[in-house]
Amino acid sequence: MTDRPVAASALPPEAYVASLAGFRNMSLHRLGALLRHHSPEDAWQVVLGELPATGLVAKVLAETGVRAMWRRCTHERPPADIWAHCLELGLVVLPYGHERYPAGLLDDPFPPPVLFVRGDLGLLAGRRVGIVGTRNATAAGREAARSLGLGLGAAGVHVVSGLARGIDGYAHRGVLAAQGEGRPIGVVASGLDVIYPREHRDLWEAAGNCGLLLSEAPPGVPPEPHRFPLRNRIVAALSEVLVVVESRERGGSLITAAQAVERDVTVMAVPGSIGKRASLGTNSLLCDGAAPVTGVDDVLTALSLQHSRSAVVAADLRARPRGEDIVVYRELSHEPRTIDGVALALGLSLVEAAMSLARLESAGWIAAADGWFECVGSPLR
Amino acid sequence: MLAAVRSATVFGVEGRPVTVEVHVSTGLPAFQIVGLPDEACRESRDRVRAAVLSSALAWPSCRVTVNLAPSNQRKGGSGLDLAIAIGFLAAHGQVPVSQIEGLGFVGELGLDGSLRQVAGVAPMVAAMGDVRPVVPINNYREAWCVSGEGVRVARTLREVVDALNAEAPWPVLPDGEFVDDEPPPPDLADVRGQAMARLGLEVAAAGGHHMLLVGPPGSGKTMLAQRMSGLLPMLAPEVSLEATMVHSAAGVRLPAGGMVRRAPFRAPHHSSSMVALVGGGSTSLRPGEISLAHGGVLFLDELGEFAPSVLDGLRQPLEEGVIRIARARASAALPAKFLLIAATNPCPCGGGTGAPGDCQCDEAARLRYVRRLSGPLLDRFDLRVGVTRPCVDDLLATGGGEPTAIVAVRVNEARQRALQRIGMVNANIPAAHLDALAPLDQEARQSLRDQLERDRLTGRGYHRIRRVARTITDLLGGGDLVLDEHVQLALSMRVRLSVSSRERAA
Repeated sequence: MTDRPVAASALPPEAYVASLAGFRNMSLHRLGALLRHHSPEDAWQVVLGELPATGLVAKVLAETGVRAMWRRCTHERPPADIWAHCLELGLVVLPYGHERYPAGLLDDPFPPPVLFVRGDLGLLAGRRVGIVGTRNATAAGREAARSLGLGLGAAGVHVVSGLARGIDGYAHRGVLAAQGEGRPIGVVASGLDVIYPREHRDLWEAAGNCGLLLSEAPPGVPPEPHRFPLRNRIVAALSEVLVVVESRERGGSLITAAQAVERDVTVMAVPGSIGKRASLGTNSLLCDGAAPVTGVDDVLTALSLQHSRSAVVAADLRARPRGEDIVVYRELSHEPRTIDGVALALGLSLVEAAMSLARLESAGWIAAADGWFECVGSPLR
Repeated sequence: MLAAVRSATVFGVEGRPVTVEVHVSTGLPAFQIVGLPDEACRESRDRVRAAVLSSALAWPSCRVTVNLAPSNQRKGGSGLDLAIAIGFLAAHGQVPVSQIEGLGFVGELGLDGSLRQVAGVAPMVAAMGDVRPVVPINNYREAWCVSGEGVRVARTLREVVDALNAEAPWPVLPDGEFVDDEPPPPDLADVRGQAMARLGLEVAAAGGHHMLLVGPPGSGKTMLAQRMSGLLPMLAPEVSLEATMVHSAAGVRLPAGGMVRRAPFRAPHHSSSMVALVGGGSTSLRPGEISLAHGGVLFLDELGEFAPSVLDGLRQPLEEGVIRIARARASAALPAKFLLIAATNPCPCGGGTGAPGDCQCDEAARLRYVRRLSGPLLDRFDLRVGVTRPCVDDLLATGGGEPTAIVAVRVNEARQRALQRIGMVNANIPAAHLDALAPLDQEARQSLRDQLERDRLTGRGYHRIRRVARTITDLLGGGDLVLDEHVQLALSMRVRLSVSSRERAA
């Protein structure tokens, strides 16, 4: 305690913000209020009780236990240590109002009081499209997310997403595969050193190294459930256009879409076949007036980008199906089917159906899992 | 004052001959049984004494010693009661010793002198060898299977004693020919739609291939599996005898016909313990469910819910057709040649239709669920067939599907083809003989090569596919050459359980 004034003089204000953000029971609203009414250093002194609190902050501190708990937290999270940890992780700490704080969030209805950032902040000056969707995606949905990411990445558009399983991950994989100007921008709910989901470690690293990673949470914060909906508002706010690829009747991506509407961000949705559970949410968005996405050109048009430049369609190397196989493929293009289903719908024998499905699968037009077959890749035209 | 009576105990599914030696002498009144009797066996002292007294026979104050020879083997169960009683009566002179020559006695005594049936009479009678067995009347069927017309039956101890003393004839045997009274197994005609799963059943029955049914709840996996035993042919005489022995040893009720002729169907619950499934126990090594399914079908519903150790216990019998159980004092080999049919949901929530993207589970939960099954056990299923809920049109259709009787004929023809070819069902063809017995045509060879190159098939899977394709060719009336379409059908009956979405998209 005695050396605090010495350390304090050497510490930038961001160090205090980084420490305060990790206090127990420090909600975003409370942190916002603290930083609105006091400078970071003063806020720290207020929490310690050495400066008087004003307005809303006084009310918060008067609540049972808050003052005591936060005072304990000042011991647990000395700003010097927290700051050293952030520097070690290569993080930039941006309190609201910082000169490099993203402009798109400055006039947000609920701006993040502080952002922890890794990567290239300059990307936020480029064109940005959000791609979100369900974690339980179908093969078709994953393929759509990937191809949108690929197209946007090639066209130099950055893709904002949540780095979650399913659609989010595939959109970013697409961007990375494009190796174009477009970069992944990942907005995550946990601290930037807490990788979640773990199987996305590679994506996480790629976004940090050649794209941008943002989080409201200071390092070390686990992926708590209540943080995900809050994260979604940042995804919406950072996007110029938000594309929902697949969503069920309820889900995080619909929350993102609602947040986008609130912020006048264009919402687009990928249509799916009716009755397909993974498309219930997106289809209802379309009913509500979202623009349909049938390909990456639709998104580029919505961004008013000249889309002809991006339209380099890779040649499809797959052997084109012939004869009966085309009929079988068309049958599968509506929804996944089993062999039984194909045979029944087309009046084929099991042998014929199995042969045809085998040909389509080996050519790469369809994929099989659990006895079901679904179309993959760009559709047969 | 000494008498020796022949009897037997059961161990595993084998009988073991036991000679009951009874010595009656003067001295302090006592009744001792030696020769490693277990608890039930030792208690027979009290039952025998009461039964003898209740049958209006004498139990004087004397010293009775019973030895169960060979005396270094453990004896279990109550089947020795009758032999001990007869031995005592002979040693005491209430029954002429000469009369018990050439007879073997098995049965439990009631305190009122009645004879009760015991488990394992068939193997016991077989073990006693060249004697005429005397058994409780309710065990007649089992004894008859082994010993034929030489069997003697009785309802009470008194009847046995009277017959031995030539005071009354042996009780008449129940009417000669037995009629099978078993209800027929459920019929395939009840199954609507499900073309693929039906074909899977047919192939499994014809080739003896183990089958895994994968599908959401309500898709009819259990219903399909139950119809399997109707498709299998009647058991061959030697298998029938083995199955009868197992059923007898386990104390499971035998059909009215005496022998187990129809392929058994056993469906143990997933909470079953290892011992319940593979057999065991300390003294008698009772046969487990897999032995009771010998010659027939073992159906494991909700495969993923079985304890992993229990499932691993199935691996050896699946390969060898016998289960060798060893305990500190003894070991036994029980027959366990069964057709394994298992059913599982594609994911733990069981919701939706099973179609991709139509369930509640996140990927990690699916992965955990599938991992429980993966590995060596999953590899032993030649057939992994996806089952879907039948569509509404099929459910409401008036005409049923093809009935069991017709399918069973096809199955039998295919089995005959296989048996003539090499003398075993196709599932057992050794890998070395596959090229000779299941030659592939050019295209089939190419598509299998393709699958192997893309890492879709392991070496073991490759052989399994060829065996299944052989069966399909036999079923569809093909010639000696296995055609590409049969290979493709076999491949489509080897559903890959989705392990991760990334893999699915690849």
